[in-house]
Amino acid sequence: MVVTAVGPESPIRARQMSEPLSADFVVVGSGICGALAAMLLAQRGASVIMLEAGPRVGRAQLLANFRNSPRRSDWMSPYPFSPWAPHPVYLPEANEHLLQAGPYPYPAEYIRMVGGTTWHWAALAWRYLPSDLEMFSRYGVGVDWPFDYAQLEPYYQWAEELIGVAGAEEEHPESPRQKPYPMQPVAEPWAMRRIRERLDGTYRVANNPVARNSRTFGHRPACCGSNNCQPICPVDAQYHGGISVAAAEAAGVRLIANAVVYHLEHDDQDRIVAAHFHDPERNSYRITGNTFVVAANGIETPRLLLMSTSERFPNGIANSADTVGRYLMDHPSTSLTFDADEDLWLGRGPQSPSSISALRDGAFRAERSAYRLDFTNISRVDSTTRRLLQEGVYGAEFERRLRHSAAREMSVKTVLEVLPRPENRITLSGKKDALGLPRPQAHYAIDDYTRGGALDAKQHFTRIAQLMGGSNLRFTADDDFANNQHICGTVRIGDDPATSVCDSWGRTHDHDNLFLVGTGLLPTAGTCNSTLTAIAVALRSVDAMLPVAAPSAAGQGRS
Amino acid sequence: MSRVTIPARNALLAGLLLLAGHCDLVAQPQEQPGRGEYVAILGDCMACHTTPGGQPFAGGVLLPTPLGDIISTNITPSVAGIGAYTLEQFDAAVRRGIRADGKYLYPAMPYTAYAQVTDDDIAAMYDWFMTEVEPSDCHPPPTELPFPFSIRLSMAVWNALFLDDQVFASDPDQSEQWNRGAYLVKGLAHCGTCHTPRTLLMREDPSRHLAGGAVGPWEAPDITSDPQTGIGDWSIEELVQYMQTGSSNRSQAAGPMAEAVDHSLRHVTEADLQAIAVYLQTVPAVSTLSQVERAVHEWGQADNELAAVRGEDLPDEADGWSGAQLFDAYCAACHQASGQGTADGAIPALYHNTATGRPHSNNLALVILQGIHRVSEGHDIRMPGFAHELNNLQVTTLGNHVLSLYGNPDAQVTLEQVQGLRYGSAQAQGQPDLMRLFRIGGAMLFVGVLLAVRLSLRKIIRT
Repeated sequence: MVVTAVGPESPIRARQMSEPLSADFVVVGSGICGALAAMLLAQRGASVIMLEAGPRVGRAQLLANFRNSPRRSDWMSPYPFSPWAPHPVYLPEANEHLLQAGPYPYPAEYIRMVGGTTWHWAALAWRYLPSDLEMFSRYGVGVDWPFDYAQLEPYYQWAEELIGVAGAEEEHPESPRQKPYPMQPVAEPWAMRRIRERLDGTYRVANNPVARNSRTFGHRPACCGSNNCQPICPVDAQYHGGISVAAAEAAGVRLIANAVVYHLEHDDQDRIVAAHFHDPERNSYRITGNTFVVAANGIETPRLLLMSTSERFPNGIANSADTVGRYLMDHPSTSLTFDADEDLWLGRGPQSPSSISALRDGAFRAERSAYRLDFTNISRVDSTTRRLLQEGVYGAEFERRLRHSAAREMSVKTVLEVLPRPENRITLSGKKDALGLPRPQAHYAIDDYTRGGALDAKQHFTRIAQLMGGSNLRFTADDDFANNQHICGTVRIGDDPATSVCDSWGRTHDHDNLFLVGTGLLPTAGTCNSTLTAIAVALRSVDAMLPVAAPSAAGQGRS
Repeated sequence: MSRVTIPARNALLAGLLLLAGHCDLVAQPQEQPGRGEYVAILGDCMACHTTPGGQPFAGGVLLPTPLGDIISTNITPSVAGIGAYTLEQFDAAVRRGIRADGKYLYPAMPYTAYAQVTDDDIAAMYDWFMTEVEPSDCHPPPTELPFPFSIRLSMAVWNALFLDDQVFASDPDQSEQWNRGAYLVKGLAHCGTCHTPRTLLMREDPSRHLAGGAVGPWEAPDITSDPQTGIGDWSIEELVQYMQTGSSNRSQAAGPMAEAVDHSLRHVTEADLQAIAVYLQTVPAVSTLSQVERAVHEWGQADNELAAVRGEDLPDEADGWSGAQLFDAYCAACHQASGQGTADGAIPALYHNTATGRPHSNNLALVILQGIHRVSEGHDIRMPGFAHELNNLQVTTLGNHVLSLYGNPDAQVTLEQVQGLRYGSAQAQGQPDLMRLFRIGGAMLFVGVLLAVRLSLRKIIRT
C-alpha cells in the first residue's frame, strides 16, 4: 500500500457519502491512549471510528519544520496550529486558548493533531510506586485508587510491551514487576555516567525507563542519539501516538481527522447515542455508536463533557456530581543549574536519561510533597547562545564562554507531587474559539504541600553541586515552578460517584456506555510522567469495554 | 581430488579454531558447526530453502525468475523432503540437478556451481542433512512455469549444452589458499550465480566471470579485480570485514547480499574468507564499463543544499518537496547534514560509497524503499525503509538529489524505475532483458527440443 506522509485529508463530506457515520465504538481523540484502545477494540472484532480534531501530519514534515524553525528550544514550534482545533501556544505570543483564572498559572502544552501530544515527549515510561495508589490510607493525604498496584501490574507490562520500553529491572525495585522490561536500557550518555559515578555513595542515579528503542523493536530502529527527542525523534526510535494510530488503522480502525467533537448526545436511558462534530468549515455531523470512548486529554476531555449540556445534565455529561474538571494536577519543577568542574558535554544521546528515585517515597509524604530528581541531557548550545547574546557578549569571548557552558553546564530539577484538590480545576470560560466553542480555563494553585517538597529539595541540589565540583550555582526562584505538561486528575476514577467521574474501569458513573481514557483518569499524580500509567489504565478499561472471550456486541453495528 | 580436500580440511580446522571467537562476535549461541553443516553454510542452502521465521530447510520460498516463480522444495530428511534419498541421489540433485524421481531441477538451484564441489564435501553435507536436520512434513506447492519451461526435460538439453559436471581441479601453479578460495567462489559459495552476467539462455557467461550480474531488480556488482568497478582496490582485510559484517566504509550489503552475509558468510571461518578474498583479487577484470571516469567508491564529497531551503515554507503537496527538503527530513538525522555519516563509521557517508557511485541506481532506490534489514542480534534494521512514507516521485527526487551531491552524476533515478521497483515488476539495469531474451531463447529451445530429446535421454542413461 502506498501512503503519502503529508497532504490534505479527504473532505469529510465526501467520505460520509460512501461510509456511514456509525460504528460499534466511537473513539474521540487519537492520542496514544485513544489510538491504542481503538486498535485493541478493532483487533477484538469491533468496528471502530476514531475522530481527531486536528490534522494528520507526518514525522518528516515535523522534522523539517523543526530544522527550519528559528526557535529551536520552543518544542511546539514544529507543530501545526489549526484554528478549528486550537491548542495552547505561548511563543512567540500566547494565544490564550487555555485561559488562566489563577492564582498560579497552569500553562499546559498539548498538541491537537493525529497522534496527539506524545509526538513530543521525552518518552519517560516510569511506573507509579505502589504507595502512589494508596496515598490516603498510607499517608492521610490525597486519595486511594479504586484498585492497587498489583492489579495494575499486568497492564503495565502489556503497555510496556506495546510501546517498547527500555529499562533495567534491577535498577527499579521501587516498582515491582513480574517480567523483565522488553528491552535493555539505551546506552548511558557520558554526562550521565560521570554524574552517576561522582554521586555514587551519596545518591543512586538510575537510568530512566523510556519508550525508546535500544534495539530494533516493533519494526522501528534503535535510538541514533540525535538528542532531539523533543520536539521530534527523527527516526521513530522513540514511541509516539502516531505509531499507535498507524497500528490502529492497520487493525481496521477508521480515522476521521479534522473532526472537532463539540457535543455528546444521550437518550432517555442516559446512554450516549451520538457525538456531534464540526469540520473546519463548521459544517455539523452526527455520528452514532454503541459505545463511546472519549480520549481527548486532561483538558479537552473535561471541556467536551462540560460543553455537552442537556436538560437532564445541565452541568454537562458525566457531571451530575460536579466532579468533571476538578482535581487538576501536574508535576511542578524547580531546578538548579551550575557548571561542573569537568567537561560533561550534555547533548549526546537521549535528552532525559537519568534520575534519583530515593526521594519519591517516605513517611514525610504525610506532610510535604515527594519528588524525583531528574538530570537533563539537553544540549546547552541553544540556551547558552541566547543568554550570552542577551548579555551582549560577542566575538572571541562569546566563543570561549559558549564552549565552556556547552561542556560544563548541567542542571537537575525536581518533579514534585501535587495533591488532588477540588478547587484546582478546568472550567469553561466565557471566551470562544474560532468554531464558537467555549475555551477552557484553568484554576490552579501551588499549595504548601508542594512548596514543602521544593524547599526540601534545595539541600539536595546543593549537595549534588558540591559532589560535581559545581560553581556558578543558579537556583530557580522560590515561587518559580515550571509546568511539566502532565495533565492529570480532571476526570478521575474512583468507587465513590460523589468524588469521581468514572468507575475503576473508566466507565462514567452517569452513562453506561461512555468510557474515558487518558491521563485525566489518574486520581494521584505521583512523581513520574503520567503517560505509561494512563496507557495501563486504558488497557485495563478495554477489557471492560470489550472482553476478549465474550461474543460481544461486535458485529451488531458493523457496516 | 585429495589435492583439494586435504588442504581444505586443514584450512577448515584452522578456521574452526577462529570460528569460536567469531561466533562470540556475532553473539550466536550455537555450537561450532560440524563439517557437513559447515559445507551447508558455505553453500547457503538456508537462503532459498527456509522461509523467514520458518522451519529450517522446509522449503516454500518463492524465487522470482524471468521464467516465472520457482518455489523451493523441502530438503529436510522426511517423506515430504529428501528422507528417502541415497547419497547417490542426493549427489545427483546437488551436483547435476536431477531429482530422485529422475525429473530435472531448474538452475535456480545452483547445481552448475555445486558441480565443482568435492565428493567428500557432498558426503559430509549428506550425512548432516540426514542425521542432524529436523524433519518437516511440509509440502510446499509445486513450481509451475509456463510452457515450454514447464517441460522439465527441456533442462536436459540445457544441461547438455551448459553443465560442466567436472569437480573443481586445483591449479598447481597457485597457492593452496588461492585454490581454496577458487573452490569456494566457483563451487559451494556460488558467487557467480548472482555476480556473473548471463547469456541468452541464462547461462553464466564464462568470459565475464564475476563481472557483475543481477538478482531480480538488484544489481550484483562487479567483484573482479578491476580497481575501478570491482574490488581490485580493496585490501584483503577490508574484503574479509565486508563478508563478516556486510559493511565497510565504502560499501554496505543490502537486499540479497545482506541475506548472503547473514545466512552464510558471517558464519564462515576467517581463513576461508581470506582465501575467497585472495582468489577474488586475481579474477581478471572485464571492462564492462568503457572509459570509467572514476572508481565507483570515489565519487562525491561532503556537501549540502540546506541553506537554500532554510526559512522556506514547506510545500503543502508532498510532490512539491525539493531534494534538499526530503534529505533534510528523511536522511540527515542519521547520515548527517552533509552526508558525511557518523565519525565512528556506524552510519556510513553517502559519498565515496559504492551505493551512490555506480552508474545504475536500482540498488539505491531499493534501499530507500526497503531499507537495510539484517538478521543479527538487536540491530536488524540497519536502515529503515521509506516505502510507506515516500511516494514514487519523492523517492525519485530524493534519489537524484543524493546521486547529484554524493554520487555518480551520470546515474539517474526515474519515476518509471521507482514504480517498477515498488511494485516488483522491475528488472535489473544494465543486464540484457532476460524475459525477452528468454522468450527468444525459449522458442529456439522448443524447436530444438524434439530433436534433442533422443540425445538427452542417451545422456541420462549414461549417467
